Amino acid sequence: MTPALDWWLQQATRRLSKESAAQVRAEIQEHYESAREVAIAGGASPDEAGRTALSALGDPKIANAQYRRVLLTASEARVLREGNWEARVVCSTSWLRWLLSAVSLVALLAAGALLRAGSIAPGRVLLALSLGIGFALLSLQLPIYTPSRARVFRYFRWITQAGLLLLAFGPGALKIQWLLIVCAWQLTWVEVQRASIRRKLPVANWPRQLYL
Amino acid sequence: MTVKGTLPTLILEALVREPTHGYRIAQRIKERSKGVLDFREGTLYPALHKLENDGLVDSFEEVENGRPRRYYRITKSGRAMLAKDRAEWRELSRAVTIILEGAQ
Repeated sequence: MTPALDWWLQQATRRLSKESAAQVRAEIQEHYESAREVAIAGGASPDEAGRTALSALGDPKIANAQYRRVLLTASEARVLREGNWEARVVCSTSWLRWLLSAVSLVALLAAGALLRAGSIAPGRVLLALSLGIGFALLSLQLPIYTPSRARVFRYFRWITQAGLLLLAFGPGALKIQWLLIVCAWQLTWVEVQRASIRRKLPVANWPRQLYL
Repeated sequence: MTVKGTLPTLILEALVREPTHGYRIAQRIKERSKGVLDFREGTLYPALHKLENDGLVDSFEEVENGRPRRYYRITKSGRAMLAKDRAEWRELSRAVTIILEGAQ
């Protein structure tokens, strides 16, 4: 590979995942070689042919921007790789599932007792915790295997999460808004990354986490 | 000259007769437009990946002159999309022609 082509490829593959970058390198090198061979067959010197082939590729920054719209970036690949560890741990560890179910049930019973005894604020927090854990466990078992079902589920999940926050803190949620903003920022960032991954990956290649 | 947003349609048209690789797709577009339509070849592959993600083309590897190459093939949905794009383009170009010729 010539240094000029290597430089072009470095620019064109910036911030792409390793797999995407390897794919781009392979296809652009293949293209470059074809263009170079045609130019040499047409009478150009090897150097001249290389320059013509490279200039036909155009600006690597524009190619990079377009590649980032259709191939996984490094941060998206990380979300795909690491973003589902909680669900994986829960799904693959049966005692943890039972423990979480028990925590949810105990929290529900405690919430009932607290609410009956007139301790409204802690009762609401425990009730929201119980419902939240229950919802998370249930979502792992739901038959969500199509993009349309997944979309409906995600809307429902956002509404449920907002509802649980309101249930837990009520009007007092405004007092801890800094905490909510920090939590929401992280959730939103992951959700934006996932939405971008959904656009880039064919549905047949979606892992379970992209449906949820 | 490039007409913004037309590259995916031109790629589908270049693949309608037979599957081929990226370099030949670029050459076909340039040759068939008699050099009028020109584009930076580095932007061809992002467009091909988008078409592949959308299920309009699929790809497979084949060895040519001892070298593995990725070939692209139009799918049934790709043909349907091409037919729709052709109809839309005819209508659009007819409308623009009416306006421009009416202005002379």
